[in-house]
Amino acid sequence: MIKIPPYLKKGDTIGITCPAGYMAAEKAQACINTLQSWGFDVMVGKTLGSNSVNYFSGTDEERRDELQAMLDDENINAILFGRGGYGMGRIIDGLDFTKFKKKPKWVIGFSDITVLHAHLYTKIKVASVHAPMAAAFNEGENEFIRSLHNSIKGKKAKYSCAVHTFNKPGNASGELVGGNLSLLANITGTPSDINTKNKILFIEDIGEQIYNIDRMLYQLKRSGKLASLAGLIIGGFTDMKDTERPFGKTVYEAIADIIAQYNYPVAFGFPVSHGTENYALKIGVNYTLKVGRSKTQLTEI
Amino acid sequence: MKRKHFLSSFIPLAASLSAVARGKTSIGPESPVAIPPYLKPGDTIGICCPAGFMKPEDIQPALLKLAEWGFKTKVGATVGKKDFTYGGTDEERLQDLQQMLDDKSIKAILFARGGYGGVRIIDNLNFKKFDRDPKWIIGFSDATVFHSHINEKYRVATIHSKMCNSFPGDWNNAEPAQKETIESINKCLKGERMKYLFTPNEKNKTGLAVGELVGGNLKTLESLAGSASDIHTKDKILFVEDTGEYLYSIDRMFWNLKRSGKLEKLKGLIIGGFKIKTDDAGEEFGKTIEDIVLEKVSEYNYPVCFDFPVGHQKNNFALKCGVLHTLGVHLNECRLTEVR
Repeated sequence: MIKIPPYLKKGDTIGITCPAGYMAAEKAQACINTLQSWGFDVMVGKTLGSNSVNYFSGTDEERRDELQAMLDDENINAILFGRGGYGMGRIIDGLDFTKFKKKPKWVIGFSDITVLHAHLYTKIKVASVHAPMAAAFNEGENEFIRSLHNSIKGKKAKYSCAVHTFNKPGNASGELVGGNLSLLANITGTPSDINTKNKILFIEDIGEQIYNIDRMLYQLKRSGKLASLAGLIIGGFTDMKDTERPFGKTVYEAIADIIAQYNYPVAFGFPVSHGTENYALKIGVNYTLKVGRSKTQLTEI
Repeated sequence: MKRKHFLSSFIPLAASLSAVARGKTSIGPESPVAIPPYLKPGDTIGICCPAGFMKPEDIQPALLKLAEWGFKTKVGATVGKKDFTYGGTDEERLQDLQQMLDDKSIKAILFARGGYGGVRIIDNLNFKKFDRDPKWIIGFSDATVFHSHINEKYRVATIHSKMCNSFPGDWNNAEPAQKETIESINKCLKGERMKYLFTPNEKNKTGLAVGELVGGNLKTLESLAGSASDIHTKDKILFVEDTGEYLYSIDRMFWNLKRSGKLEKLKGLIIGGFKIKTDDAGEEFGKTIEDIVLEKVSEYNYPVCFDFPVGHQKNNFALKCGVLHTLGVHLNECRLTEVR
């Protein structure tokens, strides 16, 4: 059974930390302002706008210790990551979830944070929020940012989006799991790896070669992650690259070919991505997926 | 159970057993590896494209050299076929390779090139005849799928080496490294006991190891994790190489190896060539390949060496995967030697 952390009330505190790539402090200012306008207090970690000179927002120890402190601090009610990039996989095994498991809180992010989502789901059995991070708040308070607000307040989500010609219609319900495809592939075979049986899986990615997306889908398939799904949600695959000799398929065509043999409902073009369109999704929580003739709906149960 | 124990305690001896003698019901990661028959002059080598596309004229240098070595060649239908990036459709590539696996007159299969595509056909190949009458499978990069799959599921040795696209068109003006590495394929095929001497890197971790050699392209190994082709690395000497990846991505792949338990029980680790994609401005990773590897293995005691001549580079020697080797990493000398 997956534990649902307490939803947030006005006056609760949200911690902001950068567990992966470097982020300048000013890039999180709009986020801080928005969170405050929602009535939350904000506690900012030192990894945001740190004096790190390399790729990371701090050393492994600094990033791990700060996240650990925020996981353990009872005065922090949720953790919103500044940004992804790369680095969660370097610290995940150094984190101690003992206190967190007893007193879970919402952790919020996507992309590189997929490692933490999967780990929390598989090992700690606590739900988490796959949603825009601090940098996305710079685009203004759009419906995707608002969906994050609603999700941590405990308002049940009901998302709909346009149909896509590759959709496979049908209804499914199950726990929602997923995230960034590259990270899901990367954690395969590790203790953070997810079991997708009877789940609704969602995937998205950015900046990959189409052949590499194809290869990762084959990895999901060959590691048994596609055969027994309840349903599948294909999010945005933004900034895809192609080889000099073209792959010959769009990324959606490649995905559609690989899943053609399965009978569960599949929704393409769902607004979960590295682009602006990125609804908050609760990993480990039950949803209903309706892939219909006129629209796709994802409803939190 | 007893039988398995008996066999695995005599690995060097058992390595020369035929596939038939291995007791198929008990094939596991520790079962002895079958060595396909070495080639004699007059034997036939099949050439096909299980992944990327290759023009017939581009395999001519390989055909000439193989003939010079005394081999006949059989060029598969996929050479010259083109389905966008692939050397034919999945079905065409599958059929061509299947037919070569099953054809008893073909003693080895040399892939024309890598690219991407092995994983799209591997699960539809039937290795029944191959398992009974093993033959050498030769290639690298995307062919890591085959090395890994065949090692894990069939316990048959394979050759990790350059493919047709690396045979120099003008042999006489080719660099010594090009010639030597191509010649190493001939040596492997003819059953020469292989020895590799290479320059020590000051970051090496010295030591001596004996173990079965496995490995290949790091990205491909990562993409096989969790699948039926995923390799067990316990008590083995693992080699890895890659090309065109960012440092952060290489780091992430080494974490996959580590977190999936593939680094913990190695006998030795060989780092080949890594052609690194330059970091984007402002995103400098700040660690070298040596840093990335050493931090992952600092808690282990086996030897680790860098700059081994294997990879997407001219210095890419033929290696027998699945075969027992000795790795000696010393301050003044590094050596990998096939055990007989």
